Amino acid sequence: MSQPHKKLGAEALLDLVAEAFKSEIAPALPADKRYLAAMIGNAIEISRRELAVEDEALAFRLLDYVYDDGDGTLPQLARDIRSGAVNDATHPELRARLRAHLADELNVRNPRFAAGRGAKA
Amino acid sequence: MAAGKDAGGTAATSRAPLEPADFAKLEPWLTQEIGAERVAISNAALLAGGAVQQNWRLSVDVTGGPRGGSHEWVLRTDAAASLDVSLDRTSEFRCIEAAYRAGVKVAEPIAVSSDLALIGRAFAIQALVAGNAQGRRIVRDPALSAFGDALAREIGRELARIHSVRPTNGTLSFLPVPVVNPSRREVATMRKALDGASEPRPALEYILSWLDANAPEPRAITLVHGDFRTGNYMVDNGRLTAVLDWEFCHWGDPREDLGWFIARCWRFGNDDKVAGGIAKLASLLDGYNAEAEIKVAASELLYFEVLAAARWATISLLQGDRFIRGGERSLELALTGLMPPEMEWDALDIIDRLAERGRIT
Repeated sequence: MSQPHKKLGAEALLDLVAEAFKSEIAPALPADKRYLAAMIGNAIEISRRELAVEDEALAFRLLDYVYDDGDGTLPQLARDIRSGAVNDATHPELRARLRAHLADELNVRNPRFAAGRGAKA
Repeated sequence: MAAGKDAGGTAATSRAPLEPADFAKLEPWLTQEIGAERVAISNAALLAGGAVQQNWRLSVDVTGGPRGGSHEWVLRTDAAASLDVSLDRTSEFRCIEAAYRAGVKVAEPIAVSSDLALIGRAFAIQALVAGNAQGRRIVRDPALSAFGDALAREIGRELARIHSVRPTNGTLSFLPVPVVNPSRREVATMRKALDGASEPRPALEYILSWLDANAPEPRAITLVHGDFRTGNYMVDNGRLTAVLDWEFCHWGDPREDLGWFIARCWRFGNDDKVAGGIAKLASLLDGYNAEAEIKVAASELLYFEVLAAARWATISLLQGDRFIRGGERSLELALTGLMPPEMEWDALDIIDRLAERGRIT
């Protein structure tokens, strides 16, 4: 059984929708719709997990390492890495911080992949 | 940029689907193309798959000329959504012909046309080849342990034959020969693609900077298939029957193909079988080095694995943009667009390992 929810909202509803879809709808579909059903189930789960985390909070964990509090954005960080303004010499933990950010993303988008690679959020 | 089979920016166009009756228009053209007295197409059947292009099985009776007799051929149409990073059908066909002449196992190239007056789209005709190309089915074949290593050696030899084709004497002169380091050229192409992408990817930018700074000099410029991976070759009874999908062919560093083949994202979950999810790397390299003029060591390929991961991450991002920005309402494209962190993770993992060994920062 899944964890109880804090409130009856989008995340809680999607939890139920995913469960009902996977247990009752998908198995009743013809074989040629199974791939589509698997994608729909996956999309619902990703959406539910994304609602449960705060995107911005994840980004700030990375950005706060590089920029003064609240000053940076992900597009700016991408530009600064490409230009060389931000690199391993200026920010020795950069690669580790990027991996931590990826671990956060993977635990929303593909937790099975994250678990297989030991990518803990 | 070499890419996945249906990757890249698109210019979506809608066209009426082909009908079997359309192929009667091909008979006089084909008669001339193959030097026959008469060609009759007795049957045309749409083959399964082919979201990007259609594949039709043609039963063809040829009277006279060098191809006289009954044949089963496949007509492959151009993509309904043309892709700005891929070769057009005629250029791809010329690459297949060059590979065929070099002894690579490809479906024999028969004829090609870009004349829209024939069936409304460009197409190529090749011999029908038996086999299965579905990556997941190949890596989950219960008999894989019996044939995997031999198949990987066979694939290694095929790659070496592709890489025996060099840009000399006007061969495939429509393909640009790189004037800069080909790996850096790939990085530049990916950066250009990312400039127009909807989502910033700092990790991918880091990986591209690393690739740019650590690009090895090529020991030769050869033909590079550009998308040689499990899923793009056909297997029948554990033997390779044909190398498919040549639309990302280009001149470049041959190790690029090896790195793409062994990239973790193309092992379909068989992570311990480094060679495309089918066998150990040593088997692939045994086959390759038995045939190749320039031998390759496993240690050289880590860089190209990172390059492959970066390329597939970039392509995935572009796939998602086909929905977000291009208006193609496809759940598959949208889900593919969420995949870049997977390849970025694997690339950074390799970079970390190299850094720990003190080989590269």
